[in-house]
Amino acid sequence: MNIDTRKRELVKELSPMLEKSSLLSKIWIAALISIILVGLYAFVLQLANGHEVTGMRDNVVWGIYIVNFIFFVCLSYSGAFIAGVLHFFETPLKNSIARIVEITTVLSLIIGPVFILLCIGRLDRLYYLFLYPRIQSPISWDIIAILTDLIGCFVYLYLTFIPDLAILRDASKENAEVPNWRKKMYRFLAIGYQGTPSQHKRLHKIIRIMSVMIIAMAIVAYSVLAWIFSLTVQPGWNSTIFAPYFIISGLYSGIAVIIIAMYIIRKFYKLEKYITKIHFFAGGVMLLIISLLYGYFTFSEYFSRWFSHKKHDVDLLNTLFSRYFWQFIFANYFGILMPIAILFFKKLRTVKLVTIAAIISVLGIWLNKYLIVVPTLETPYLPIQDTRAEFVHYTATWVEWSLSLTGIAAFCLFFTLILKFVPAIPMSGIIDLEKGKQSKREKNNPIVTEF
Amino acid sequence: MKINLLKYIKITSFLVALLLNIHSNAQESDASNYNMSFEFKTVKQHDNSRLLEASFTGKNKEDRKDVIPMFDAEIKFFNVLNEDEVLLGAAKTSQAGIAQITLPENQKYLTDEDGNINLVARFEGNVNVEESSAEIVVKNIYLELNLEEIDSVKTVLVSAFTIDELGDKIPLEEEIDIVLYVQGMLSKMKIAEGSISEGAYEFEFPTDLPGDVKGDVTVFSIIEGHEEYGTVIQKKNAKWGVFQQQIKKTKNTLWSSAAPIWMYVVLTILLVGVWANYIYTIINLFIIRKEGKDLELETES
Repeated sequence: MNIDTRKRELVKELSPMLEKSSLLSKIWIAALISIILVGLYAFVLQLANGHEVTGMRDNVVWGIYIVNFIFFVCLSYSGAFIAGVLHFFETPLKNSIARIVEITTVLSLIIGPVFILLCIGRLDRLYYLFLYPRIQSPISWDIIAILTDLIGCFVYLYLTFIPDLAILRDASKENAEVPNWRKKMYRFLAIGYQGTPSQHKRLHKIIRIMSVMIIAMAIVAYSVLAWIFSLTVQPGWNSTIFAPYFIISGLYSGIAVIIIAMYIIRKFYKLEKYITKIHFFAGGVMLLIISLLYGYFTFSEYFSRWFSHKKHDVDLLNTLFSRYFWQFIFANYFGILMPIAILFFKKLRTVKLVTIAAIISVLGIWLNKYLIVVPTLETPYLPIQDTRAEFVHYTATWVEWSLSLTGIAAFCLFFTLILKFVPAIPMSGIIDLEKGKQSKREKNNPIVTEF
Repeated sequence: MKINLLKYIKITSFLVALLLNIHSNAQESDASNYNMSFEFKTVKQHDNSRLLEASFTGKNKEDRKDVIPMFDAEIKFFNVLNEDEVLLGAAKTSQAGIAQITLPENQKYLTDEDGNINLVARFEGNVNVEESSAEIVVKNIYLELNLEEIDSVKTVLVSAFTIDELGDKIPLEEEIDIVLYVQGMLSKMKIAEGSISEGAYEFEFPTDLPGDVKGDVTVFSIIEGHEEYGTVIQKKNAKWGVFQQQIKKTKNTLWSSAAPIWMYVVLTILLVGVWANYIYTIINLFIIRKEGKDLELETES
């Protein structure tokens, strides 16, 4: 196999998605920008009028912003975890989905913490957190963990991009259609990578070390996020299994979002050749295993609360089974059992059904996080008395929904823009895989030279 | 302590029931076991107001240690001169059996030719408890307290006098005992005992007494329970205290400003480990870059 020829072939095959913008993609980007603009208006309103425009009040000081924060950050950690595992164990499936996982990781880690900022009433005092940090506080740990993880994920994402950036740099040299700024950008970011054996070896070594590190960091950061809740004595939060529960639920949502992203990218960019049914099958099996674990943890969590019969836990469960009955049923029954029911049968593990199971999982997990945050705050140890119902209970306003949608739209927009810069399928990974296969073949069937 | 309180509450309730005249023969026979005791005293306070305080208790005839307070009994206070009786005020006894009223500085009293004020506290009685009263005779006396630094010596100056009809101060001729205190957190601490002679008393204030956070001390000069003048109190503040800041060794705990040491150690190890790896990665990227540049130069040449 001639590597240079193969590189050119791959560039020819995958670069149209970088160079051309279809009408559909233009409409898609315009729609996303429109959602973001509405969100910006909502943000200005919130900035001008304060949290009065949200549903957050004295009792429920955390609303869907925090739910989104947990969701996105968990998504990021699970992305980091999965990306690390894919690279470390050099799984053959990694070539098609690794980039999707890595981009998901970094983008969700950028968007997630923005929701925390939206939740803070006095943003002007934010710097106090850095000037007077209390190292004993899980909030401080979370900030340290998120910042460190964000940098780590950026570095990791960049490392995995380097060989492809080098391929694109070389390919764009003689291509007049590629604009100059893009050529310069590829040249700058490829840092002179030529794919020599020593460069290849060195890059793979640091990627491998980083992959181990981000697995460890993801576990630490997941746990810290869970401890923000479980280290308080609030009913519904004070739980010893919250850290592993968050890890499992994060992986559940992470795998589900990756499956959805795989489906959209495969369909949109027509990548059926690279993202195959096997990927969905494997993703479905992974989702099934994690959904069983997640269901087990969810059951353990609520069962122990119900059985202990502590007054405030009973109050919380009463709230969950009265005011939040349907949400609870959807999140913790439908959202877990339905994906299990679909994915349990081999015949049902088709591309579409696995994606549907993933969508149900994502909705269920978001609702599960909502039910962790809001009902607990609605049933405090010292209830507010003689006040209006809207001060006791929480209902998200259009401002909060708009800003939440803005987060999702920003995630999709940045994802789309990154895929305009590098292909969704890592070309270097495919070449490495093919090289590996070839050398294996040569080992098994050595060329015999006759004299 | 709890048991004693319970005991008092029971008996006091029983006496209240008596005062409210509940018809019960058994209770009446129980009340007969107690002798009513009535104590009356007056305190001239630092602002020259006069406190009248009556303590109304029942003492068990058989067990002298069994003393119980009379609750909710109305005590009337009078100023008496010969046949004249002026009502000064009335108060109900507290759960401790004490009734108090405070008469202002400008209160006019009926006095005899020697300047004696005759004060009476009286419980007028009901069907179950007989009338009780107590009487005290006091002379109006004034205490003046000055805290001055004389030749750098912190000096407490106390003068005692009466005021004649023309409003002139007449120093006290007789010698009477006086006690000096400073206010502590919970009670007063005695710092000197002496006698007022020719209407004055002088005392060198100790230099090592701690004050409050600002270094303030409150000095009291008190004539305690004098048979002729009763109790007379005067007080004054001065910045004479030495503020002794307590040096507490701070411990590194979850709730102190400094975190436990292990927390710093763990966090430092984690962060140093992670950041060292970032630096290692970046160094390797620079090596890759350098190699690429060298290769480019070779190709060009």
